[in-house]
Amino acid sequence: MNSILGAPGADTFGPPSRLYDGTASRGGARARGAKLAVRNLTMRYANGHVALQDMNLSVEAGEMVVVLGSNGSGKSTLMKCVVGLNRPSAGSVEVAGRDLTSLSGKTLREARLPLALISQHANLVRRRSVLANVCCGALGRHRTLATTLGCVPRHEVAPALGYLAEVGLAELAGQRAGTLSGGQAQRVAVARALAQAPQVLLADEPVASLDPEAADEVMRLLRRLASDDGLAVVCVLHQPELATRYADRLVGLRRGRTVFDRPTSEVSPREIAELYQADA
Amino acid sequence: MSTTYKGPVPGASSLARNVGVAAAVLVVVALFAQAWIVVQARPQDLLTGAHGMADIISRALPPAFDQFKPTLLPVLETIDLAIFGTVFGVVLAFPLAILAARNLTPAKPLYYAARAVIGVTRAVPDLVWALLFVTAVGLGPFPGALALAVHSVGMLGRLFAEVIEDMDMGPVEALTLTGASRMQVFTHAVVPGVLPSLLGIALYRFDENLRSSLVLGFVGAGGIGFLLLTAMNLFQYQTVAFLLIVTFTLVACAERISAYLRSLVA
Repeated sequence: MNSILGAPGADTFGPPSRLYDGTASRGGARARGAKLAVRNLTMRYANGHVALQDMNLSVEAGEMVVVLGSNGSGKSTLMKCVVGLNRPSAGSVEVAGRDLTSLSGKTLREARLPLALISQHANLVRRRSVLANVCCGALGRHRTLATTLGCVPRHEVAPALGYLAEVGLAELAGQRAGTLSGGQAQRVAVARALAQAPQVLLADEPVASLDPEAADEVMRLLRRLASDDGLAVVCVLHQPELATRYADRLVGLRRGRTVFDRPTSEVSPREIAELYQADA
Repeated sequence: MSTTYKGPVPGASSLARNVGVAAAVLVVVALFAQAWIVVQARPQDLLTGAHGMADIISRALPPAFDQFKPTLLPVLETIDLAIFGTVFGVVLAFPLAILAARNLTPAKPLYYAARAVIGVTRAVPDLVWALLFVTAVGLGPFPGALALAVHSVGMLGRLFAEVIEDMDMGPVEALTLTGASRMQVFTHAVVPGVLPSLLGIALYRFDENLRSSLVLGFVGAGGIGFLLLTAMNLFQYQTVAFLLIVTFTLVACAERISAYLRSLVA
C-alpha cells in the first residue's frame, strides 16, 4: 500500500489514523495581541542605495495589511528584513515581542518560528505528497532524530489534514505536489505556513502568477485567516483592486518611504494611482 | 503610433553571417584533415588486410558453446565488479558532491578540496587505477572493483554536484524560513528534490562500469575480460567468439534493465 505521504522511502511513521478534529493547537495564533512591529527600519545597501528609509509598520493580531508600491519601492526589501534574510542598517523588527534584527543562526531560526512566509511561487517539494509538504511546515518544532532522517512528525499529520481542509484541499492530501495547479499549490503553501503555527503571516506577491479566479481564492483565504484565526497578515501586492477589496489597512511605499498608512476606506484611488505614476 | 525596428531580423542572411559560417566550416575541415594525418589513416590497408580478419572469423565459428558452464563464475565476477564499483562510488561520491556544489557547500575551502578530489579521480582512467591497485593488492577481481569505485567517485561526484547545483532552491528557502534545521532542510527538501536524478545517474554508471569491468580483466582484474585475454593468447578463437556473445548479451541486458529502472525513478 502506498503511504498517503507519497514520498519515496521512509516518509512517515504511518498513515494518519483519524481525520483532523479541529483540536490541534496553532500556538498563539488565535490569541489576540500577537503582532509585528517594524520600527524606524532603514536598509542601505553596500553600493549606497537606500532601499528603505525610516519605515514604521505595526500589525495587530487579526489585522490584514496590504503593502502597495511600484517595482523598486522597497516592498521586497521590507519582507527580507522582516524574515531576517537582510540585516537592516538601522531600526528593529519585533515579532511576537522579540527583536529579530540582532539575532543570527539558531537563535534567529527559533525566534522566527511565529513568522511564516508565503512567496510568489509555492516552493513545494514537487515529488513529495501534498500532505508531506504541509507537515514540513512543523519541522521547526520537531527537531528529533526521525525528522532529521527525513520522516515527517507523526503528530502533525492530523493537524496538517485539518489545515488542508481549511484551504479546501483535503481530498488532494495523497497527491504529488508536482501535479497541482498554480492556485492549488499556493493554497498548499498557505497550509504549510499554518502548520508552522504562526502568529504573523507574510505573503510576498502571493497571487502574482495566478489567474484572477485563483488569485481571488488565495486572497479570500488570507482574509479569513486574519479575521477568523486572528493571524496578523502582511501582504505585498501589485493589484490595487484586490488590496482595496480585502485589506483592513493599506500601506503605500515609494522609493523606500511610507507615503500612506491608513485604513483602506480612507485611501483614495487617486493616491494609489499616484503611487505607481510617480516612478514611471 | 508606429515605430521602425532597425535591428537584425531573425533568419535573414547577411554578409557577416555568411563569412562567419564559411570560416567555421573551414576550421572544422582543417581540424579533421590534421586528425587524418596524425592518426596515419590508411583505408586501403583495411581493404587489403580484410582476408586476415575473415580468416580469424572463420576459425572462430562455430562458437564454443560448451564453455557455458566454466564461464558462469567469471560472468558473475564481472557483474559483481560493476556492483561493487557503483555502490562504493555512489556512497563516496554523494557527500563529496554536496561539498562540491556551490549552493550547498558549507565552506569555500571544502568546495575546492572536494572539486580537487573529484578532478583527480576522474582524470586518471580506470585502467590506470586498476594497474595501481594490482600492484598493491595483487591479481584478481578486487583491484578491478577498487579501480571502478575510485573512478566512479570522480565521474559520479561531478554529475551529482551538477544536479545539486541545478536544483530548485525554492523549497530549500521555504523550509529554512519555517525554522527547520539545516539537516532537516537537507533531508526534506534537498534529498527528495535530487534523488530521482541521482538514482538515474547511478544506474547509468552501473551500465558503464559493467562495460569497463570487461576491459579491466585484460590487466588481471578477473571476470570475462581475463578469460577473453587468455583465450586470445592461446588462439582459442571459438572460445573468444562465445565470450563475445556472452559479453554482448550481458551488456545488452544491463542496458535494458538500467533504462527500465531509470524510467521508473524519472
